Parts: sequence; C-alpha cells; structure tokens
Amino acid sequence: MVDTRSEHDDLARLYLPIALAVMVVVVGLLVMFAIRYRARGAASEEPAGGPTHAPRVELVYAVFLAAVVVFLLWRTFRVEARVDRVAAHPAVTVDVTAAKWEWRFDYPRLGIVERQVGKRYPTLVVPAGREVRFRLRAKDVIHAFWIPSRRFKRDAIPGRTAVFTLLFPHPGAVPGGGLCSEFCGLGHDQMRFNLRVLSGAGFARWTSARSLR
Amino acid sequence: MSSLATGHALAPQQPQPRGLLAALGSTDHKRIGTGMFTTAFGFFIAAGLLALAIRSELLQPGSQIVGAERYDQLFTLHGSTMFYLFASPIALGAGLYLVPLQIGARRVALPRVALGSWWLLLFGGLTMWMGFLTTAGAADVGWYAYFPLTNMPNSPGVGTDYWIVGVIMAGLSGVTLAICLLTTVVKLRAPGMTMLRLPVFTWAIVITSLMVITAYPALVAAMALTLAQRHLGGVFNLSEGPIAYQNLFWFFGHPVVYVVFFPFLGAVAESVAVFSGRRWFGYRPFVVALLGFAALSMSVWGHHMFTTGAVDNHWFAVASTALIVPAGIEYFDSLATMWRGRIRFTPPMLFALGFLVLFLAGGLTGVWVGSPPLNYQVTDSYFIVAHFHYTLFGGSVMGLFAAIYLWWPKVTGTLLSDRLGRWHFYLTFVGTNVTFLPMFFLGLDGMPRRIADYPAGTGWQTLNDVASAGSYLIGLSILVFLLNVGISLLRARPAGDNPWNAYSLEWATSSPPPPENFSGPLPPVRSFAPLLDLREQQVAWEAGAAGAVALGAVGPVAGGPGAAVGPVVRGPGAAGSPVAGPPPGAALPARALSYATVLGVLGFAFVLVGLVVGQWLWMIGCGVVALALVSLLLQQRAGEG
Repeated sequence: MVDTRSEHDDLARLYLPIALAVMVVVVGLLVMFAIRYRARGAASEEPAGGPTHAPRVELVYAVFLAAVVVFLLWRTFRVEARVDRVAAHPAVTVDVTAAKWEWRFDYPRLGIVERQVGKRYPTLVVPAGREVRFRLRAKDVIHAFWIPSRRFKRDAIPGRTAVFTLLFPHPGAVPGGGLCSEFCGLGHDQMRFNLRVLSGAGFARWTSARSLR
Repeated sequence: MSSLATGHALAPQQPQPRGLLAALGSTDHKRIGTGMFTTAFGFFIAAGLLALAIRSELLQPGSQIVGAERYDQLFTLHGSTMFYLFASPIALGAGLYLVPLQIGARRVALPRVALGSWWLLLFGGLTMWMGFLTTAGAADVGWYAYFPLTNMPNSPGVGTDYWIVGVIMAGLSGVTLAICLLTTVVKLRAPGMTMLRLPVFTWAIVITSLMVITAYPALVAAMALTLAQRHLGGVFNLSEGPIAYQNLFWFFGHPVVYVVFFPFLGAVAESVAVFSGRRWFGYRPFVVALLGFAALSMSVWGHHMFTTGAVDNHWFAVASTALIVPAGIEYFDSLATMWRGRIRFTPPMLFALGFLVLFLAGGLTGVWVGSPPLNYQVTDSYFIVAHFHYTLFGGSVMGLFAAIYLWWPKVTGTLLSDRLGRWHFYLTFVGTNVTFLPMFFLGLDGMPRRIADYPAGTGWQTLNDVASAGSYLIGLSILVFLLNVGISLLRARPAGDNPWNAYSLEWATSSPPPPENFSGPLPPVRSFAPLLDLREQQVAWEAGAAGAVALGAVGPVAGGPGAAVGPVVRGPGAAGSPVAGPPPGAALPARALSYATVLGVLGFAFVLVGLVVGQWLWMIGCGVVALALVSLLLQQRAGEG
C-alpha cells in the first residue's frame, strides 16, 4: 500500500537540500567574486586577462552533472513506479466524473451517488487505511482531480478514463478537500469537493446508511 | 585592401529618408529592429498592467475589481501577450538590430521580410487585443487554448476568434524574422568572421532562430486547426483530440520558453564578460552547451503533460532533468568569466548578476517539476506560476534590462543614468522575490492557477497580499526605468562610440551607427571579441613585451607586433592594420523604403481577420495584397532597368 503523500515528501526531502545547496554555492561564489574581484583604482578599465578556457575541467564537470541527473532520475523513477501503481484488489472503487463545474462520485458496487446540490459541494467519503481505486472521467472539457493533502493530481480528459489508487491513512475531515486544477472555464474556481476519511467501521455505517436511501 | 576600404569610406552617403512615415516603411534593419523592440515593449507594459489588475483582484477573497469572466480574459491576454507579443519579438527585435552590427554586415538579408515581420507583429497584437472591444470580451481560454475548451459551445465569444487570428500573425512574424536573421548570419558575415568567431549574443540569436523555425509552425498549425474546429468542426474528435492538440501545442510551447531565454542569456554573457574585463570563458563548450540545450528543449514538451497519463513520463523526465548539464555549463562559464576579473558594477552588470541569481531559483525548481511524482502535486498550481516567473521575469526580463542598459548608448548615442539604473535594479530584484517567492508556498498548499477567487477559509490571503505588494513594487521599478529613459532622451549626454570598453564589432562604429552601419573599414576579426584583441595587443605592446612574449595566454590572438595599432578602428589610423575590408552586403538599395511591404501585410491581416468578421473584409484584403504584389513587382522591374 502506497501513501502518495509520504512518497512525495520523501522525494522532496531529497530534491530540496540539493537545490538549496546549489543555490548557496552559486550565490556564495557570485558574492565572493563580486567582492574579491571588484574593480579598484585607475587600472579598472584595463582588460584583466587570465585563462579563457579549460575544456577538460568542463568535461569532468559535465560528467559529474550527468551523474547527478542519473541519480535523481533513479530515485524519481522508483517513487513514480509506486505512486502510479494501480491496486488489483482495492477495498473500494469510486467513479469520479468531472463536468462544468461540479464533481460527481459514484460507488458502483455500493449503489451510492454523491453529487453537488446547489452551492453545496459534494463530499468524497473514503475508508481510512484501505486502498481506494478511482476511475476518472470528464464529461465536457478537460478538468483535473487534485487532492493537495495527498500530493496527487490527475487530469480528467474527455474520451479517456484515468485509473489510479490512493490511500488515506487517517480518519477525519480533510481541510481543503479536493478541487479542479485545470482551467475549465467560468466556474473553474468554484469546482471543489469536500473530503471525509472514515474509519473502517464508520465507512461501513456510512455505506449502509447511504445504500438504503 | 586599404584602397578598397578608403574607396568605401569616401563613397557619398545616401540621403536617409526622415520623418515618422519613413520610420514606418524603412528597410534599414536598425529602424525595423527599433520599431519591433518598441512595439514589443509597449505590449510588455500593457500585459504588465493586466498583471497588476490580476494581483489586485487576488488581494482579498471574493470579487472586487473584476468578475470571473473578465478575470479569465485578463490572464489569457497577460500570458499570451507576454509570450507572443513581448518576450519572443523583443528578443528577435534586439537580434535584428544587433546581429548585422556584431557580424560586421552593412545590412540585413531579406530586409523587406524583416519589415513585414514587424508589421505582422503589430497587426497581430492589435487583433489579439481587439476582443476587449467586443461585448463578449477578449479571449478567455488560457494562452495555450486547450481543445475542447476552445470549441464553439464552450467559448462562443468572437474575442477568441480575433485572438486566434492574432496569434497566427504573431507566430508568422516570428518565423519570418528568424529566417531573416539566420540568412543574415549565414550570408553576410564579415571576412574573418567564421561561425566560431560569432559573438556570444549572435550565437544565442542563431540558435534561437533555429528553434523558432522548428517550433513556431506548430503554433501556427495548432491555431489554424483550432479556428477550423470552431467554425467548421471535424478537425479534432473528442476521444483523441484533446491529447493530439496538447502534443501539437507543447511541441511549440516548450521550445518557446527557451526562445525567450537564450537571447537574454547571450546579453547577460556579453555583460558579464565586458564588465569583468575578461574574455567570455569557455566559448566553444558554451556554444556546444547552447546547441545541446536547444536540442533537449525540443524534446521535453511532454513534461507539460505528466498528469495526463498519455505520454511517456520516463522519457520526458530524462530529457527535462538532463537540462541540468548545459545549464550547469552556462553557470560554470559565467562564474569562470568573473573569476580574476575587474568587475565594474554598472547597471547592465547588476541586471546580469540578478539574472544569474533569479534564473537559478527558476531552474532548480524546474528540476523539481521535471520529476513526475513531484510534478503531480505542483502542476497547474501557483508553484508553477512561481517557477516560470522566476525563469521568465527573474531570468529573461532581468536579462532584457541588462541588454537595454548595455546597448542603449549604442542605439541612441546617449547615456542612461547609472544612479536611476541602480534603483531600477534594486526595486526589480526585491519586487520579483516579494511577488513570486510566496507563490511557491501557495502552490504547495493547494492553490490552483487561473482562479478568479479563493475561499476565505483557506488562509491564502496573507501570502497573496505579499505577492500583490511585490507586483506594485515591480510596477514602480518600471516607472523608474521609464523616467531614466525620458531623462536620457530629453537631456542627451553623448555616449561616444564605446563607452563600456566592450568587445564586439558594433562598438567599432559610431553611436548611433550610420545607415550603412560602418563608415570606415572594419577592425580585423581574429576571435569572437575583436576589440578586446586590439586592446590586449596594445597593452602587450606598451609593456614592451611585444617582441618576445607569446600572447597565447590571453587567448587566440596571434597577430605579430606589427599588426597591433591599438584600439583605433576607424579612420586613417586603421589603414596599416590587416583590415578585413569593407563590410559585406551591398549598401542599402536606392529605395530604402518599402511601403508596398507594409501594404501587403495590412492586406494579409485583413484576409485573416476577414475569416472571422466576414467575406467583405476578406475580399478587400485580397485586393490590397494583390495591389501590394503588383507594386513590388513594378519596383523590381524598375530596379532592374
């Protein structure tokens, strides 16, 4: 079972320090050179001379950079393989339909439909600690299904079905919920949904209550 | 050789047509370049005002200034104007002015094509903005105009049609100008100016032009197909159409961000070299790195589509992350050029340093978004907005101002104020960070792009307010710049031919250059920095070392002591030096004006807009084009006779 949030955050904890280190080194060198080699005195307009090329050094440097590229990609691909993996036997399957400008969630095996009523956003209800498979479709234009707290997003494109698996470890209402992140016209900023994660027993109670209706 | 040169120097100068009308139809590359640059800068100001409106609307949750409808138009026109009408044409326009001078040519190849390109840009831009005059408003489909959002039922406004037609014109303007620039470099280089002696800026323009010629036709095709889909249908179907369109668009859409980066990188490289008193370090690896950069950038478009599930994420992640290598070379060479230099902190140098710092932040976050699992979180969020504004505003616009401060004395013959230039720099640098740094955090926290409003409970208001305050700071910095320009033009302080002690051939002629670019013979071209060669020779000569000391340590200068005559590059003093002869390319033709070209482009614009407006305009356009063609043919015949 793959927690997309911790996968993302672990990878970010690799990329971020490297990026910050490069930033510190380059800006540090720029500042150091700016101080050390600033023009002084009458000779400031004279050409400074000095070496103008070092192809071997640059070649070694390029090989080093290529090694960094390989390392980053290796780590990225390992994470991506896990994040993109689709569970064969999910606990629940949810059919998500994106349309202008509302979300609709169908639980096909449970016979539950959750849709927007007026201005009240629909609520995606999922069990905690279980794999949930999503089948994402778009009715009219391109939308995108984004749950920021899960660090995951997938485009909803007319004519295609996107299938992916998410895990929601902890029960509770998720602040921010989910939203559309692909510009889809006038109501794009109003295209949101609430997200509630229930414990196993709570989810069972919810499904039986909703299925009866 | 010197007789040739003298003969040329004594040739009577052609009377240059004057006046506003002449400036609009001139085939002098400097006038067209200035026109293009000014037009593009005007669009920069206009799109900047849209950005200020956007930032003002986002100050608070809820709608205050504009509703969602207008907001969608604002960000569509902001993005598309900045790309199609500002960044790319201003870069190519600067190239049009400078490249012939840098390679020692008297004129540009295909001058009427260049003239037409400027007018295509102007008409295209006005057409794109014309939608604001219609009741439904301007285009509101985003600068990338995804299918099927662009389908007629989804976006019925005629403003979108005007916009599409305008983008087609702007795209054709880019292609034609790139052809003109490339032809100029291939055909009109001065004797001695081999391809591996082109100045760094010219190399950047060459590679940019190659990318424009390869990528922009995809934009023109995407827009033409979209127009056909809207009015006739049947171009894209709903199952494969969305992905097909995205592939087509991003095949243009990613290279374009490098098109609007390389020329400014070239300007930054020239500034860093000149104001470090050094030769640009590692010229050949740098050119190779630029070519690799360009090749890779044509292979990464799918990283805009990681979350579609319809592209090979692995391949596009490899290509995108591999950009680290050429980018690393670029930074290595910049730092190595400053190393052991004599650094002068003039405004162009400050902007060049600002470019290196801010572009780095954009580039490193670019590595971040090139990793699909990280991209899943941040794509289409404010993180992306922050990332590309660090590259495009912190990078390209800083580089643009480095270019403006560097070449202003050459183009206008007057000096800008150093003090106002420094204030301009500090305000821009601080403003950029205050505006765009908070957006990284907003994006990670879940704020999507292109939203007219955000709910009050999200806690995003504080960071949005900081970003908006920063945007006003940027607006202030532009006012300081305009003040500087105004003072410089009203109270002209003569700049002299080479106020910075710069290295390339454009500094070997007067400021501003004469219509034929060089009134005397050219200095010898033995490297990509001919004027630096002369100064280094003179220094060596004055030090009494001319006889014995090899000059190998200071670069590829190989002239004997007899060849060194110091930095005198014009007039009789240059007669003894191994001058390269008169600049190539015949002088401007007797008719240095081509109103027929302008007329032809106007007719073409009518034809395209007529596709939207109606048959009558279409037919008028055809008539005007025919008239222009006949006029051009008659001129051709008269010229031959």
